[in-house]
Amino acid sequence: MASHVFAAIYIGSYEVSMKVFELSVKKRIHEIDYIRYRLDLGRDVYQTGTMGYETVNSLCDILSSFSHIMSGYCVEAYEVYTSAVFRDSANGLFVVNQILLRTGFSVKVISNSEYRFLSYKSVAGRMPFEKMIETSAAVVDVGGSGIQITLFREGSLITTQHMDIGTVRLRELLHADGQSLKLYEMEIQEYIHKKLEVFYSLYSGTRVNYVIIMSDYCEALMKSMEKKEEENVVKADKFIRYVEKLQKKTVEEISHELNLSNDNDPLIIPSILLFRSLVQILDADKVWAPGVNINDGIAYDYAWRNQLIKGTHDFEADIISTAQNLSKRFHCFSPHIEALSKLSAKIFDTMKKIHGLNKRHRLLLEVATILHDCGKYVSIANSARCTYEIIMASEIMGLSHLEREIVAMTVLYHTIPLVDYEELSDRIDQDSYLVIAKLSAILCVANALDQSHRQKFQDIRISLKGKELIITVESLEDISLEQALFEAKTSYFENVFSKKPVLKEKRVYSYH
Amino acid sequence: METKINYEAPEYYENRELSWLKFDSRVLSEAKDKSIPLLERLKFISITSSNLDEFFMVRVASLKDMVHANYKKRDIAGMTASEQLAAVNQATRGLVEAQYNTYMRSLIPLLKKEGICILDAHEDLTEEQAQFADRYFMESVYPVLTPMAVDASRPFPLIRNKTLNIAALLANKKSKNKETVFATVQVPSVLSRLVRIPSNKGNITFILLEQIIERNIEHLFSNYKVLCAYPYRIMRNADLTIDEDETPDLLKEIQNKLKMRQWGEVIRLEVEEKMDKKLLRFLRTELKVAEEDIFHIAGPIDLTFLMKMYGIDGCDELRNTPYTPKAVPEIGQGENIFEAIRKGDIFLHHPYETFDPVVDFIRQASVDPDVLAIKQTLYRVSGNSPIISSLAQAAENGKQVTVLVELKARFDEEHNIVWAKKLEQAGCHVIYGLVGLKTHSKIALVVRREEEGIRRYVHLGTGNYNDSTAKLYTDCGIFTCKEAIGEDATAVFNMLSGYSEPRSWNELVLAPYWLRDKFLGLIRREMRYAKEGKEAHIIAKMNSLCDREIIAALYEASANGVKIDLIVRGICCLKVGIPKVSENITVRSIVGNFLEHSRIFYFTNGGDPEIYMGSADWMPRNLDRRVEIIFPLLDETLKEKALHILETELADNVKARILGADGNYEKIDKRGKTLVNSQELFCREAEEALPKPSGISRERCFIPEEQHGK
Repeated sequence: MASHVFAAIYIGSYEVSMKVFELSVKKRIHEIDYIRYRLDLGRDVYQTGTMGYETVNSLCDILSSFSHIMSGYCVEAYEVYTSAVFRDSANGLFVVNQILLRTGFSVKVISNSEYRFLSYKSVAGRMPFEKMIETSAAVVDVGGSGIQITLFREGSLITTQHMDIGTVRLRELLHADGQSLKLYEMEIQEYIHKKLEVFYSLYSGTRVNYVIIMSDYCEALMKSMEKKEEENVVKADKFIRYVEKLQKKTVEEISHELNLSNDNDPLIIPSILLFRSLVQILDADKVWAPGVNINDGIAYDYAWRNQLIKGTHDFEADIISTAQNLSKRFHCFSPHIEALSKLSAKIFDTMKKIHGLNKRHRLLLEVATILHDCGKYVSIANSARCTYEIIMASEIMGLSHLEREIVAMTVLYHTIPLVDYEELSDRIDQDSYLVIAKLSAILCVANALDQSHRQKFQDIRISLKGKELIITVESLEDISLEQALFEAKTSYFENVFSKKPVLKEKRVYSYH
Repeated sequence: METKINYEAPEYYENRELSWLKFDSRVLSEAKDKSIPLLERLKFISITSSNLDEFFMVRVASLKDMVHANYKKRDIAGMTASEQLAAVNQATRGLVEAQYNTYMRSLIPLLKKEGICILDAHEDLTEEQAQFADRYFMESVYPVLTPMAVDASRPFPLIRNKTLNIAALLANKKSKNKETVFATVQVPSVLSRLVRIPSNKGNITFILLEQIIERNIEHLFSNYKVLCAYPYRIMRNADLTIDEDETPDLLKEIQNKLKMRQWGEVIRLEVEEKMDKKLLRFLRTELKVAEEDIFHIAGPIDLTFLMKMYGIDGCDELRNTPYTPKAVPEIGQGENIFEAIRKGDIFLHHPYETFDPVVDFIRQASVDPDVLAIKQTLYRVSGNSPIISSLAQAAENGKQVTVLVELKARFDEEHNIVWAKKLEQAGCHVIYGLVGLKTHSKIALVVRREEEGIRRYVHLGTGNYNDSTAKLYTDCGIFTCKEAIGEDATAVFNMLSGYSEPRSWNELVLAPYWLRDKFLGLIRREMRYAKEGKEAHIIAKMNSLCDREIIAALYEASANGVKIDLIVRGICCLKVGIPKVSENITVRSIVGNFLEHSRIFYFTNGGDPEIYMGSADWMPRNLDRRVEIIFPLLDETLKEKALHILETELADNVKARILGADGNYEKIDKRGKTLVNSQELFCREAEEALPKPSGISRERCFIPEEQHGK
């Protein structure tokens, strides 16, 4: 069969949804069916802390009926994801198990960063995306609790930031009792503006060409604006004018005009205010509502992992460019970092058979290398701790929470001695502990080679010989500093890999 | 300044019940039409009669409820319920009189001329016939009769709705007492109303069953002397369901009142004209019927038996030659229907074209190994429906079958439950309608897994998936595998299965949420074009038009220069020829051999015409309280076919009647015009559209089988 039928199920806080896709090289990701069922899991969880008996029952019923639909399409594979609502529920783990036993579905609970990444993938998997980020674009994922802004310039990812101005939160925050709508709108507007201005001054500075808004409401807005437009792209000024026109209407009128199924949608006002502010403050030229959601991201991720489609976007490049931008922000991006990246990569590649790590780990090492000096911006004396905290507090689109922890610890323990696993067991598993040990050992050796931060070595050759890792360097300059310190830094490496790094010098004399 | 016209003013509207009665009298006019074969004319009498029965049980009952509930709201034409009842009563009397006049004065003599005799008085029997009748009575009728007398110890029995009964006054033979006793006996409905009795050679003679009973009534009450006996029939407000066309607040109001009232009030009593006064008085008091609800009938009560008469053996020359629906040219004999659909959208026009492709669609899907799922809505199906058995077969073959069965289809409820259970047993997923909504839409979806991926085939129609009525009702349908419609069809079934509605629709328009606005939008768009000075034309064909908002929009459009041609078979609350309001509107009604049933809507759209078809009339219940689907015709060839139907019907001058400003429907003056009978023309065209057997190589030869086992 030329195509592969895949079902992506997402259990959200107020809705359970399934999209059925055909995945093929020719049609790429083709949606065949989209089924939604409203189920207020969030109400249970946020009021009582757990998912109640009735709710779990209905959830299982819905999932069973989804499985019936899946068999109707002869679905070959499926994935079930859930996020915040299961994480926040005290009995989330038990419910996952209940679902498995009752329906046969194994539900994967993903972290916020994974969720954001998946939903970002759904946009990045779309054709027009690459063209839009070529100049500059901001992807805004609008959620109930927060929004995620991801900024691109000249094709690379600058930063991604989470801001707690989601639509539900906006409504709750400024819940106007007896206030006039006008006043309420002004308050929201001001609040959003203040939050967004910080972002703008820190990261954006200049206007962006595209604002890509991921939200059902925005899609509806676009649809009613541009009846014929296939791609849902409109000029920003037109968008703002339309929102201004909508603002003059009542909630019922807006809902009707946008063809929303709920006549009195409480989220519509905060949503359109948020859209308007976003477009205004980011000073965008055009607005795009791609009309995708997490389900598309799940499918894209699955298809890409299983090589069913060709990826159009390089997500690893995103990770590197975010790290580089972060490093620049803390004024530590320097030739030293570039040299170090090459060095650590070289050691990693040479050691391939010894460390048994994969390509992904190589990427983590690169990110750790890029970020290893950030803490110096805060405190030179306490730089390792500060770096750890900075990495943990920064979002890197594409890294999972665990991966971020691995990067941060790699950086931390390449400076200070690695503690026993038991002390870290609440944060990482044993496998990750090993990865951290290996990566930090490599980083440590690499760093020792450029202790002076002056890139003295012209050419470095690294090879394994018996129980030694021989690093042969050519240098025009005196490298006695590196030589002297090298010995002290290698014992950790030896401990981890049972190989001793040896530095050999091949002096190159200048003829000048 | 010109005063603004209130297009919703009651004087611009016709009352829907009166409009319906006009429709029934149009049906009756067919029975009066001398150009129609005799038995066909009898059939129309029978239809008028059964129509009227249903009208009473549903509409008049509903009006009575309103009166009892003291419901004061006025209808679309500004009439209160009691005003309507009075008007309906008067109009019905006129209709019934005309009906019996036609039957007794024209049709009976004509039948006699043809040697067919229907005796409605046992006194007219010959000796031989009387003997036969008496024997028939003793052998077949007597055992199933249950005579019931009323006296001090036996209260008045329950007379069942719509049954024919014989009332009699008896006097006790032994007692000196002069007092009379009332008795009643039901004419058994298990026996045929028409009893064929021996007659002269070449003649056919029938007698009505009640006459045989009347003749032998002495046998039932052996100790009594029968003073007189007459047939009668009652109609009860029996089902207590309120017609859904009324406003919801009314429903509540009535439900509250109803609880306090005894059920099954008698709303009509039909008695033979010459019924004994004393007997009538007795019936009247016992049944608690108001004087105005008594109908004195000048002939046999309940003429629905004439439908049986229509079907008698022989006498083919007294009927139209039966029409066999023709094959659909796009679908070859024995061709894979999915292949045919892939070549392009297919238009179906029943009954001119056969309904077989629709049956085949499901049948082929049920055995096709590539088919994954079949989904269908069913409203009314035929008795031994091939579609039902195919669906069951499909489920047994492992296909996923989802069927929405509308249990609330009026008068079909019991029938529907039986086969719905059957489907469930076969493994189909059966949905029993939606809470608060009737599912009236006609849609079938087949999901097929093909080389290029999943493909969806959709049938959309204006009529029910009923292979028997498809031979009598004119309906249209399309087959398509266009992705946009396929996606919508999937979404329809998701919605019907209880999942959230899709965020938006591609092509289909659904009631109850979107359809009204869509139609209003389309009408207003034509109005804008008219204001811009462009050509603006609406042609709409439907069964009934009684939605105030739509009619007001049509008035406004007409006032602004939109040309509007309506083909409305039944109820039409719109009035034509109102100065400055509806001068640009024409309304015609076609009542012919086939029941006009399709709904087609044409809009010029500034030169880029749009045509929609679907299951909905322009009635409040269709637009607000039912799940209906209207679909656009996307291919040019299909649009042409639909437009051709509309244009031909607008040109019809044989069966069409035009609504005049006086509210009456008149036939068109045919002088100097070529006669156009749209239904006959469609029959001919369907015949001509068939692929001609090619003239060459007609020589007979054997075709050797080349592949073994094929």
